[in-house]
This record gives sequence, C-alpha cells and structure tokens, in this order.
Amino acid sequence: MKKDPLFPKRPDKASLLREWTGPLTNDLVQQPGAFGLGQLPRRLDVAATTTSICGFCGTGCQLEVHLNKEGEAINLSASTEYPVNLGMACPKGWESLTPLEASDRGTTPLLRDARGEQRPASWDEALGEMARRFKKTMQEHGPESVAWLGTGQIAVEEFAFLGALAKFGMGFVHGDGNTRQCMATAVAAYKESFGFDSPPFTYQDFEESDCLIFVGSNLCIAHPIMWQRVMRNQRNPDVIVVDPRRTETAMAATEHLAIEPKSDLTLFYAVAREVIHQGWVDRDFVAQHTNDFAEFAAFVEPYTLEKAAGASGLSASSIQELARKIGTRERVSFWWTMGVNQSYEGTRLAQALINLALLTGNIGKPGTGANSITGQCNAMGSRLFSNTTNLLGGHQFTEAADRRKVAGVLGIPEERIPQQNSLAYDQILEAVGQGKIKALWIIATNPLHSWIEQNRFKERLEKLDCLVVQDMYANTLTAQSADIYLPAAGWGEKDGTFINSERRIGTIRKVRKAPGQALADFQIFRALAHHWGVGEMFREWTCPEEAFQILKKLSVGQPCDFSGIRDYAHLEESGGIQWPWPAEAESEDGKVPAQRRLFGDGKFFTADQRARFCFEKPRPQPESPCGEYPYILLTGRGTSSQWHTGTRTEKSDVLRKLYPRGIYVEINAEDAQKLGLQSGDKTLVQSRRGHLEASAFVCQTVPAGKLFISMHYREVNRLTREDVDPYSREPNFKICAVSLKPLR
Amino acid sequence: MSTLTIEESPIDALLREQQQLQTPVARFSVAEQPASPSSCSMPRQAKYYRDLIPLSRPGEDEQYAFEVDLDKCTGCKACVSACHNLNGLEENETWRDVGTIHGGESSSPYLQTVTTACHHCEDPACLNGCPVLAYEKDPVTGVVHHLDDQCIGCQYCVLKCPYDVPKYSSNLGIVRKCDMCHNRLAEGEAPACVQACPTEAIRITTVPKTSGQKEAPRDPIIPGAWESSYTRPTTRYVSEKKIPADARPADAHSLRPQHAHGPLIGLLVLTQLSVGALAAALWAPTETARWVALVLSGLTCVAGLASSVLHLGRPLKAWRVFLGLRKSWLSREAVVFGFYAKLLAASGVALLWGGWPWFWPLASLALLTGLVGVFTSVMIYVDTRRQYWNFRDTMLRFYATTAGGLLVAVLAGGFFWALPLLGILVVGKALAEKRFTEAHRQNPESPHYRTARIVAETDAPLYRHRVRTPALLLAAGLLLWPVAPWLAAVAAAAALVGGEVLERYWFFRAVDAPKMPGGVQP
Repeated sequence: MKKDPLFPKRPDKASLLREWTGPLTNDLVQQPGAFGLGQLPRRLDVAATTTSICGFCGTGCQLEVHLNKEGEAINLSASTEYPVNLGMACPKGWESLTPLEASDRGTTPLLRDARGEQRPASWDEALGEMARRFKKTMQEHGPESVAWLGTGQIAVEEFAFLGALAKFGMGFVHGDGNTRQCMATAVAAYKESFGFDSPPFTYQDFEESDCLIFVGSNLCIAHPIMWQRVMRNQRNPDVIVVDPRRTETAMAATEHLAIEPKSDLTLFYAVAREVIHQGWVDRDFVAQHTNDFAEFAAFVEPYTLEKAAGASGLSASSIQELARKIGTRERVSFWWTMGVNQSYEGTRLAQALINLALLTGNIGKPGTGANSITGQCNAMGSRLFSNTTNLLGGHQFTEAADRRKVAGVLGIPEERIPQQNSLAYDQILEAVGQGKIKALWIIATNPLHSWIEQNRFKERLEKLDCLVVQDMYANTLTAQSADIYLPAAGWGEKDGTFINSERRIGTIRKVRKAPGQALADFQIFRALAHHWGVGEMFREWTCPEEAFQILKKLSVGQPCDFSGIRDYAHLEESGGIQWPWPAEAESEDGKVPAQRRLFGDGKFFTADQRARFCFEKPRPQPESPCGEYPYILLTGRGTSSQWHTGTRTEKSDVLRKLYPRGIYVEINAEDAQKLGLQSGDKTLVQSRRGHLEASAFVCQTVPAGKLFISMHYREVNRLTREDVDPYSREPNFKICAVSLKPLR
Repeated sequence: MSTLTIEESPIDALLREQQQLQTPVARFSVAEQPASPSSCSMPRQAKYYRDLIPLSRPGEDEQYAFEVDLDKCTGCKACVSACHNLNGLEENETWRDVGTIHGGESSSPYLQTVTTACHHCEDPACLNGCPVLAYEKDPVTGVVHHLDDQCIGCQYCVLKCPYDVPKYSSNLGIVRKCDMCHNRLAEGEAPACVQACPTEAIRITTVPKTSGQKEAPRDPIIPGAWESSYTRPTTRYVSEKKIPADARPADAHSLRPQHAHGPLIGLLVLTQLSVGALAAALWAPTETARWVALVLSGLTCVAGLASSVLHLGRPLKAWRVFLGLRKSWLSREAVVFGFYAKLLAASGVALLWGGWPWFWPLASLALLTGLVGVFTSVMIYVDTRRQYWNFRDTMLRFYATTAGGLLVAVLAGGFFWALPLLGILVVGKALAEKRFTEAHRQNPESPHYRTARIVAETDAPLYRHRVRTPALLLAAGLLLWPVAPWLAAVAAAAALVGGEVLERYWFFRAVDAPKMPGGVQP
C-alpha cells in the first residue's frame, strides 16, 4: 500500500501566468527509485545496478553503479550494504564516472616521429615498435638495461599479468611501482616485525577502540569514509592526532599533539620507556609472542620524557599523559599514513608504533592494532602481486622453493624467474641517470609530477633511449614525454579485483566502453605478449577472472592465502572477502565473516611465530633549516576532492570547484607579519633544488617556521629532496628546507 | 579452391572485447528486477538517515531548516557530489558548497569546514526580487522553491541572494537552486546531502519562525556570512567548540571579479542617456535641435531596451515581467521604461503632427517617467544591499549619465558651449572614481577594499585608461573646437560614452558580491 506523503507535493500545473511545471521542471523531476535506491531523477532511469569498488583511495568503498538497458553506467551512488562504506562515499567516489568522459582521453597509440612529434599509430605499430626497441636494448645491454614503473591503481590481475609478462615473458629484472612512494615503509616495517606484509586490522576496529592514535594522518580528508567509522565509535574514545599541523583531523580529535616535524621517533621511544617504567607492559603477551623485548627496554632507556619534550616541543606531562592512555586504556589502536611512511626513517617509526602495540598487547583484539592505512585503491594488490619487490603472492625471488612453486603454478620453466631482487624505484632512476637502464615503461602513474626532486628526475628521463607510457590520458606530464604512448582504459571500463587497506578483496566492473582504441591494461598485456612472441606462455590469461583463479593458486600456503574464494560472484555475495581465506577455512553459516583481523591467536608470520621489536637510534633530518633556507616545508594532501597528481580529479567540474584553483603556500601569521605578507600575495618559495611561485595563505594551522604546500600541485616536487628510508627506500617527501620571499 | 575467410587480427579481437558490456541481464548485475514491494517501500539507506529528518510536518509558526553540526563536518565534501548525482544536475552545477573558516592563535589554531546550501530564508531576497514570481515559499514546509519553467533567466535573484545560492545556467537559460529535496522529504526520504554525509553532520529540523519577533536576528549564521536580518536565513550551525572572534572565511582575501553583464551595461547607459537627451529636446530653442535631441533619445532608448532583452536567458517569457510589481524593483523598472518608451514614441508623433503644444505635455510626462525609470534602475541595485551599490553613489552614477545624455544632445544641436561642461562632467567623474579606488585599495578594512583592488589590480591595464583616455579625448576636443567643432563634439561624446561604459563595467564586475565562506582561493 502506498503511504501518503508527509505534506502536499508541489503543484503540477501551468496557467497563462504561472508555470509550476513544464520541460525545464521535468528535467529534474524524480521518480521512486527502483532497487532500493530511493527517489532519483526520471531522466536517469535505472534499468539495473551493479557494484564496483572505487578506484581512488585504499579505503575500498563500494559504489553502486546505475546502468541503462545497454548495461552502460549512467550514474552511481554508494553501496548501503557493503561493510566498508555503509552507503557513503567521498566526492571522488561520487564523481568516478566523470573522468572517463573527459575530452582529452587517449584514444589511439602515439609514436614519436623523427621530428620529435607524437603521431597516432596503430596498436600493432606501437607494440611492434615497443617490442623491437626493448628487445634491441636488452640484446645490446643485457636484461638489466630495461625496467618498468607501475602503480597502485590497476587491478590485481593486471598487476600480476604485468609482473609475470615483464619478468618471466620479456626477461626484465627490474620493475617497481609508485607504491614505493606511499606504502613501502609499512611493507618493510610489517615484514620485519611480523614476518609478512600484514596490516592486521579490520575497519570495525575504528568503532571498537577506546583510544585511537593517528600519526601523520589527516584521515578526515584523506580517508573520509574511515573517519566516518571513527565517528560511529560509541565508546567515547580518546582520539589523539600527532601531526605538526592543525589539520581537519587534528581539529576533530579530542587531542592534538603538534610536534616538531620528525621528532616522532624520539617521542614514541620515550612513550615506550614511560610505558615500561610505569609497569603498563602486557607481560604475558610480550613473553609469549614477542622477541627482543629486553634489548628494546634497554634501548629506550635514554629516551626520557624531558628528552622527548625537548625534541618534540610538547610538554613532558602531555607525553606522560599519552603514555598513560596507551598503557591503561583497554583497547588502543595506532593508525598511520604518509606522515610516517614518507620519511627518511619511516620504517623505524612505523615499527615504533608496532612496538607500542606489542608492548601493551594491543594487537589481535577488537579495537587494537598497529595499523597502516593505505593510499591507493590497490596498493595492497600491488604489494602482493606486482612481482616487483616480492615474487608473485608474497614469495621471494631469492628462494628456490618459491621460484619452483610459482613456476609450477604458472606452467613456465623455473629458469625464467629471476633469482635476484629488483632495484627499487629510486635505484632504477639512478640507473637511468647512469645510463645503465636505457628503456623504461611507465604504467598508470605520473612520476614527472609525483616523484621527489623533480628537476633531477627530468634530467634523468632525458637520458633514456626509449620511454613508453601507458595511461588513460596522453597529456599527463609524463605521457607528454613518451616516445611510445599506449592508451589505457580506466576504472569503470574493465573488470578485476582490488584489495583495500583492511585486506578486503573486492571486484571492479566494466560499465563503460573505453573511448577510441583505448584498451584495458590487461588487454594491452595480452597484446604485448603476442607481439613479444610469448603469447603461448600466457594462454591461460584470457580474462581477469581466469587470471584470478591463477592468483588463488599462487596464494596457497601463504599468509595471504585466499584460495577459499570461489570466484568473483563469491566476492560479490560476501561483501568482499579479507585475506586470508584459505580453501580449508570454514564458517558456521557458510558465509565469510564480514570483519576479520589478524593475530587473534598471537601467532605471527615469522619463523618462530613471534613478533619482533625493531628499533634504531633516530637520525637528524637530512636537511635542517638554516639561515639561507629558514623554513621547513611540509607537504601533504590538500582536499578530499583532489587525488594525487590530479590527472583524473581535474577532469570533473564538481571536484575542481571543491579545491583551490592554483598552488598556495600556508604560512603562519607570525611569519607572514614579519614578511609583510597577506593572504593572496604572491611568493617565491625556493629550495636548494628548485623554486616555485605560490600564493600565500596566512593562517594559524601551520606553526611558525613551517610552511605547507599540497602535493597535488605539480610544482611542489621541484623543492623536495631525494632522500630515502634505507629499509623501505621510500622517499622523504614530507620535509625539506626552503626560503620564502614575497614577490611584488 | 579455398573459400575466402576474413580473419580477425588479435588486436581487433581485443578491441572488440573492450567494447562489449554486460547487459543488465548478464551475470554481473546485482539487481535487474525492481525489488519486491515490501523491500521497495523504503530505500535501503533509510536505516542510516531515519533520525536525521523530521517525521512530522512543521506546525503553524514553524518551518523546515538545515541544521549543520560543525563538530561533525570535517570537510569531506561528499554532500556536494551526492547532491549533484542524486539530483541529476548539469555537469558543472552544484547546489551545495563547502568552505572553511579559520582563525585563533598559534597555540590554539581554529579551522572549521562549513557545508552550505540554500538557507530557505523566512524573508527570501530571491523571492522578493523576482520580477516574474518564479519563487515560492512553501506554505507548509517553508522551503523556498524555484519554478524553473516560470524563470526568465534575468538573474536578479543571483544579485539579490547574499549567500550566492541561485545558480544560473547559460545552457538552460534559467536559474536553479536547492529545494531541500522537497519531494524526497515528502516521501520520508532524506535530502541527498543528508543521506550522503558520512558523519551525519547535516540534518533537517523544524524551527520556529522569527517573523513574530520584533527584531530579526542580526548575527550572521556563521562568521563571514551576511547579516541575518536581511533575509532571515533558517540554517543553523551548531558547535560545542568556541568559534574565535577573529574567525574568517578562508577566501576572505580573494578577489572575485563578477560577471560584467554587457547587456545590462548597455541597458543602463543607453536608457539614462535617452532620458537626458529627452530633457534636451524639451529645452531645445530650435526645431532642428529639438529633432536631433529627440531622435537621439529615441535611438538610445530602443537600443537600451533591446540590449536588456539580450541579457535574458528566456526572453520569450519576459512579458510576464509585470507580475512582481508589488515587490520587485526589476518589475518596476521594466514597466516604467515600457511606459517611457511608449510616451517617447508618442512625443515624437505629437511633434511631427501637432507641433510644440502637443509635444511639450507628452514629452514632459515622458521625461518624468524616464527620471522615475532611472530611479527604479538605481533601486534595483540598492535593494541588493551590496555596499558598492549604495544609494548615494548609485544615484550619482546613474543620474550623471542622464546629465551626460543631456549635454551630448545639446552639443548635437550645435550648442558648443556644452563642450566644457561635458568635459567637467566626464573628467570629474573619472577623477572621483580614481580617488575612490586609490583610497580604498590601500585599506584592507574598507568595505570597498576588494572592489578597489579588482579595478586597480585585476583590471590594471584598463584602469590606466580610466582618466587618461577621456581626458585626452576632451583635450583634443577643446583644441579642435575652433577649427572643427563637430569633430570636437564627437570626441567629447565618445569620451562620455566610453567613460560611462567603463564605469558601468566595473559597477558589475568589481562589486563585492556577498557569499558564504569558501575554501582557500589563491
């Protein structure tokens, strides 16, 4: 029975003098939405819906895509029932379809001709040329003279195909991904501490924690849908944000600890010392499930509250209070993102948080954990299957048994698998600079904007004999430099799976036709395999879902074993499935539980199943402010409507309205006053490596002596300096020394 | 003999596969049939927003309103996109916006994002200004509706609303705005923004009307917003945090040049010249001079009114412009100048057929109507309450143009003594404006600070010509006067018209248009 409306609806009539209805009114008229969607514009009549995991960040929200009768996406909303996002999405997710419609999509391969112009070419010409040039380089200079740089944005199946094709089919030795810029530190930290790259948490932990500690994370704008979960927490939690800036998240927290940049390692060692001194250590847990506690306790002994107070600028009492909360609240969780990862000592810093979780037994239980929040939509897929740092499925290139297993599953000769590890991103670039790597293939990333110390990167790139760029757009900074450009289909134009921050595997769907001759990355790899002459080796890789079956087999026996997932439909029915879900896994009702965390049994993935305390003396920052460059430049995300280098988000009118039009530098009012600066004034920001012009934004949220520029503007990496963490080789994006002067 | 076969190349096969979509009946679609009636009764998302919308209609002295919990709004901006998608708006159309206010001390910095849409005011300025009654305040819910098919695209509501809510679409030729998802609320569903806010920061509440109170609340609803007594906005921003006294919008410093509205520049300058020229026709001591002035008045009048039509997005519906007479100065202007044009034409006919005795009463009436018409033009802008468009300055500007029309028409009649007078008017006005600009661009506290900076900085090249070019033209005129008086007159007239057009260009472009707090704008 239809219920009456709550109040009279709008008149639906037109007279000579007043028109309550007509064609313009009808343009927006709504009708009851089918499929439980609620009222929707009649113009966008929904014939069916399907779901797809969002292709921006690592939260992994599921979108409900509205289809017309032809199966083409006409609109989308957020999936109500998906356990990740509960019907919510950030503006990027809502705008997912818009970047696909951009008029500047790449629609045909391009080849640079003798005059240096990029000219349209057929796929056969472009791939033939790529194969010819890469083969020639490898024949002349050996297999180490070529490399690829990948991404965190393509599907798991595509990662695996790319990695397998490049290393086993084409004979590459070196390849890495832009996940080196974001998650490598978490990977290195987890591997060493837990024995496997294994973020232990599930998003439910946000809701079940008594004390959430966010370090270097502006969750509110970087991962708004995770912040939603924090807000749903009914336990009246302490929410503590450790960040030099008063960010949106710091504002929303119950406490903000505005520390001096890069004083964090000292701070958390002092907190650990205080926890130990006050007897808040979970002795049983430490004794049963960890190694090296005694060494750690001895190590932190010099890190007194006073020392940490001196380094961090916090009061000793506030550090003590932080330690008290960590030591005494029942469920404490530690969360970090790029403020930790993108640091010259990020691995040790991430481990400093892991150590605190281990010390207090805050792991494996609801609302606890040392939890790295992922950047890109499929960084986690890349971590397991990109075949770069790890052999497919988290295996080791250096282990004969692993090589044998992978070769067996793939049905390839074992000797096609390299026995050495890849160079990391920065090492690949160094080799490019030294002329050792002469041909480079870049897939779905825009490093000419995003990689650190841009001018140096540019110089190196010019030394290449051949640069191939595979991307949705032919006009990204990087694609413009390509000798060969391959037009890729984007999210929404292909099938596959993504793995999110909490290890949840979910499906993405083809709901749009790619423009012109653009092909899904998966299809490009198939075509390239054919042109390289190794098509036969990949005959089983006919479509993403077939490839997924291969990946399942590769995961068997690994901590990430997901061989119990039947197929894509199983993922759909279950609301995504977190790894591990091995074939032998059982559940009471036959369904996969929606929220699962790791280490509930206290068994870690190390040989002796114990977690390790890892620690090291903090080092001074690579570049301290000085007379000539008196400010510390901080970088980070600007708004929730911007994504990385903006190649997609800048295509949406709606998103563009929601972020600042051009580059700006945040400066403290005190510093601004000294310089006679007002908001809106033009400034010149300089480092030892380059300079940029930015408009000043005078505020209090950045402390005196520090500046902030958002990473979404292409100029910012002219200033940054290429220092990397020695363990993760992740660049130190967050700080460098700069000067600022007003431009009149 | 082998048969001819056409083989598909591997690439062709891949390209063909790439273009294939799963139709709704294929295996991937989650739902292809409408769900069963029971599950269809409420949208799935309802379980999350049920507590965020009223379950009953407002009482007699109440209306619905947005309530924003600032402590929950953390700047994700999902509300903007969700509104866009779920309401099927045009590609670049948004009915919501999210801005930032900030301030405080270094030791306790303050930062707050502010989501904003239509405030469904109790006394909506948009509604009061609309010349065709395209706005309605819902008698039950208090929602301010826009009648899209009634709209003529005059955009006066855009100027009237102090919160920058109505959005003009040049594609559709009309304005559209938020209606609080009225139809969704009627069905017990939440507005798009309420549905989509991950932190439940936006809700719909029932609020008492303030119209009963003697004095409307003056305080802005959020720092940086317009004083509330103008329209009585109903949105409430609540927070347990103390907002520091110095909190200001993140875009407070930014210069936002507005649309220059070419057709409106034409309308204003030409009709005002016409009224002045008509005065000259009444004064003229010779028949020729009278005709010259009258023809000049007629031509500028017709051109001005034609120009105004170009401004409208939906000119064919403009005949309804009298509907708003009771409240809208725009209606009044249109009606008064409509009469003026007819009286002017009648005066011409009278002069042609009946001579002076018939002419002067009609022309005097026309002149009076024209002068009233100029006053309605003034009031259109004064009624927006924008500082730059204050009564005194706008009166001076518009009637000075009228005076200029008078002098030009006198000149045109061959009375060259008007030339120095015209020179004084033109140069005097330019100098006065320059003084105004220079005074206010140095003073960040001035209400005209941003206006002056748009004129002098954003439009620096043009600004350099503001005094120089008319002065040069007039100097040339004065030099030419003894040798080629008509050339001198043309130069002086050009100086006047050029100067007035430029003044009116900045009148629109440099006005400091009020709005809700925005984000950082370099």
